[in-house]
Amino acid sequence: MTGELIIDGFMTGAQVIKLKNVSKIYQVGDQPVYALANITEHIKPGEYVAIMGPSGSGKSTLLNVLGCLLRPTEGSYQLNGQEINTLNDSELSKLRQSVIGFIFQSFHLIPRLTAAGNVELPMIFAGIAPQVRQQRVTQALEAVGLTARSHHRPDQLSVGQRQRVVIARATVMNPRLILADEPTGNLDSESGKQILGLLDQLYALGHTLIIVTHDINVAHRAERVLVISDGHIVQRTSSCNLTPESL
Amino acid sequence: MSLRDCVDFAFNALKGQPIRVSLCVTGIAIGIMAIVVLTALGEGARRYVVNQFMSIGSNLLLVVPGKTETTGAIPGFAGAPHDLTIMDSQAIRRNIRSIQRLAPISMGTETVRYGERRRQVPIVGTTADFLEIRHLRMARGQFLPRGDPQRGAPLVVLGHRVAQELFPDTSPLGQLIRVGNWRMRVIGILAPRGTQLSMDMDDLVLVPVATGMQLLNRHSLYRILLGVRNVSDLETTCGRIVALLTERHGEDDTTCITQGSVVGTFSSILNALTVSLAAIGFISLTVAGIGIMNVMFVAVADRTEEIGLLKALGARSRQILLLFLIEAVILSLAGGMIGLTLGWTIVQGLTTLYPAIPASTPLWASVSAVLVSFAVGVVFGLLPAHRAGRLDPVHALERHAS
Repeated sequence: MTGELIIDGFMTGAQVIKLKNVSKIYQVGDQPVYALANITEHIKPGEYVAIMGPSGSGKSTLLNVLGCLLRPTEGSYQLNGQEINTLNDSELSKLRQSVIGFIFQSFHLIPRLTAAGNVELPMIFAGIAPQVRQQRVTQALEAVGLTARSHHRPDQLSVGQRQRVVIARATVMNPRLILADEPTGNLDSESGKQILGLLDQLYALGHTLIIVTHDINVAHRAERVLVISDGHIVQRTSSCNLTPESL
Repeated sequence: MSLRDCVDFAFNALKGQPIRVSLCVTGIAIGIMAIVVLTALGEGARRYVVNQFMSIGSNLLLVVPGKTETTGAIPGFAGAPHDLTIMDSQAIRRNIRSIQRLAPISMGTETVRYGERRRQVPIVGTTADFLEIRHLRMARGQFLPRGDPQRGAPLVVLGHRVAQELFPDTSPLGQLIRVGNWRMRVIGILAPRGTQLSMDMDDLVLVPVATGMQLLNRHSLYRILLGVRNVSDLETTCGRIVALLTERHGEDDTTCITQGSVVGTFSSILNALTVSLAAIGFISLTVAGIGIMNVMFVAVADRTEEIGLLKALGARSRQILLLFLIEAVILSLAGGMIGLTLGWTIVQGLTTLYPAIPASTPLWASVSAVLVSFAVGVVFGLLPAHRAGRLDPVHALERHAS
């Protein structure tokens, strides 16, 4: 990997994420179904947190709530000091734009756009000037080692390269919080290692990193691990203490 | 997000679906082309008719027997028009100084014969002024002589085609022909003129008005054609003529029509025709608009993942709506421009092939075609764009994953 991931304006000490009694309830017929139930959790700036749990346990729902893609049905969620429930859709979009970077398992790259075009997307909607965009795209692709592939479309890239484009896109707006949903789930082990290396770099640079994973080896790279089951956080542990038996 | 970014993004998205886009653009182009061509034909017909009238001068008046207004009189007791006579036309000539030329007209159809050749033709009884009022020219011989219009004479002037048909090998001048049962001498042949105000000036026979009335057994003139010295005197002259004839007939039973009012009537009828033709074009444009809506709905469905992603990356609902709306507008405007170009080309071709019909797309039709194509994009793109803007990002991303 060449280049360096850059983060600025990093706020130390205060909590980036404060969840208090957060529930996400879906109505199935007459029955309320708790996707998340009474979650209370604080995550500090620069923390690396892994979320684990069986399928359907609420990991992705929690990640969507944290990413402001879903609003909690109950409880309070403060991101970067702002209460999410008081923000309208437009303000939430702006918050996602400036504070959060998403890394998806299935990449979600726009097939007709080049790697550079995909990385540029968040800046277009933020109204950043084209010259600045160009500069930042170059930096972001350089940081993930894809300078030579900037004009390739996703179908001309390997899966590992695609995920690197996604990381470049997630970091190009220099967000404080990076949310990754199974970032290595679709990758071979070699590409997976490269991606985890990049995530480690982001962590080292001070980004707050929350990663959903089934893989205990991936979780071991985090500082803390939250284990979720049936919408509840059933275990909070340091990754050092994490064993297959403890899950 | 700047407008340029929106347009670039929309263009990029459209490039990804060339078949759908070209079908959609074709639909709009056909709609716009239909408007351009149909209104050009309507306008061409209007101009043709107006030109026909204007070619015989703008200083013309027409006096016809009968009133065009509704009267309260009981039919049969009053309101039945008196005959319009040659004496009436002479009275008009004597009393109204603003009149430059006057041609009383009687009309009917009769068989003309020369030897074994015969032909059924319109017979027009008139006077010497008819030649100038209708802007006709003589090919050979002379026109009807000036003199007392009450006195008939067995003289005829032949239309160009009638002369050719009756006298294929010999000169008609000085020859005797039969018009009905009358023997008459040919004194002149009109130069070819073609159709003038729906009358084929090449296929008629002209006789002195008194002779025409006897020949055709008419008691009333068909009409009186008048040329006024100054165009500004048209309306007042008309009023004086009606007043004079009312005095002579004892009641108001004639109608005086100015050339302008006839042209105006035709013009408004043909304008209505043009608008009706445009409406037909707009219907096809509406159908094409529904095509755009369909394409945009399919695009929203196909690009659900993309919409979810854009929202996750911070795009606002309004920005997404704008993106899809701009795509629809690009489609419709592209169709509009192509349709306009095709339409103009076809109109150009038509005017080259049929120069007699001065087909030309009115400016309002061209401008409104472009505006309507823009509006079609906005109106028919709004609903799919709104749907795109309202998509829930989690569901949109999950739908792809599932």
